[in-house]
Amino acid sequence: MEEPVDTATAILASAAVLLRERTFDDISYRALADEVGISERTIYRQYPTRAHLIAALSNWIEQAFFPLPPFVTVSDFRAAVHERFRAFDASPAYAYVGARASAISPTLDIEPAYITRAIEAMLDVAAPTLNRRDRRRLAASLRYFSSAMFWARLRTGFDMDAGEICDAFDRAVGDVLAKLLDATWAER
Amino acid sequence: MTELSGTQVAILAAYAELIEELGSDDVSNRVIARRAGIAERTVFRNYPTRVDLLLATAAWIEATVFAREESHSIFDIPLAIRDAMQRYDARPELAHVVAETAMRGVNGAAPSPGRAQLERLLDAEVPSLDAAQRRAVIAALSHLDSVGTWVTFRREFGMDRRDIADTAAWAAEAVLDSIRDRVAR
Repeated sequence: MEEPVDTATAILASAAVLLRERTFDDISYRALADEVGISERTIYRQYPTRAHLIAALSNWIEQAFFPLPPFVTVSDFRAAVHERFRAFDASPAYAYVGARASAISPTLDIEPAYITRAIEAMLDVAAPTLNRRDRRRLAASLRYFSSAMFWARLRTGFDMDAGEICDAFDRAVGDVLAKLLDATWAER
Repeated sequence: MTELSGTQVAILAAYAELIEELGSDDVSNRVIARRAGIAERTVFRNYPTRVDLLLATAAWIEATVFAREESHSIFDIPLAIRDAMQRYDARPELAHVVAETAMRGVNGAAPSPGRAQLERLLDAEVPSLDAAQRRAVIAALSHLDSVGTWVTFRREFGMDRRDIADTAAWAAEAVLDSIRDRVAR
């Protein structure tokens, strides 16, 4: 049996369908309403601005198309990010929505993304004695190099494919990890 | 950036001002025209669509509000990044607009405007890198030297101005560590 879909989700699913043929900017609320078969006003009630819409759309796409493989160790983390970059390459229109949504001025109180928490948890285990400042520097750097923004910048600004982006990611990760002393790392 | 007319600068400056005041890029052309002291149709004539206007404004903000001093060495880039983060933090609404327009793919703003300069500096100082390493260093520095860094560190880690500047510069130093002692003489 198919799960009943609420209006808010139906709107996002239809927006994702429209994204296959046009950019987010070219999806009007009017066209979206026609696609879902509801009134334009209902969409405004759910998503008062386009910023609300793209934020929700990005979360939905992330769950539906780019689930993050779980990771505990640094090598699992690298593998998980590689898988994501390859998934982004396979569905670029969706990945750009994610990159864009992560750059806009937040419309709601934003919780850090799941990957941020996962990176922090990984460092807690891998480098338990690391001081707080270096831990945050490292977590933030790893987070930023593993982001949809990194993929989008390298794809658009450098014409790189997923393989080249994974290589640039690995080197950047290696560079920031090398900042720490060897003794920092628990069993590797 | 192509040369802008006086009218265009007035439009872009008015729009940027309104974005800061209203906390949103959702501003009507009529309001922009009134603020710039011109007719509404003049806005349309110069920027036929919202996207045209937004991209032009983002480019103008980058080139003026967030203009940076030129670096003379690739090893000065972390300092430039530190300064840039502080400028973004002083103008958060404008920073978000610039960040977002650079993430639109081919329909958006160039996501790495500083690339040519980084390549010039790196090729002059450290010409011995292989192609993949050169590309990775440029890409990583270009990524760090962008407003996306400020947005991400603030949003995902709740960092303040000082910590964002520190972390971004630290990461850039880490990228440079791999080539620090390979300078051509």
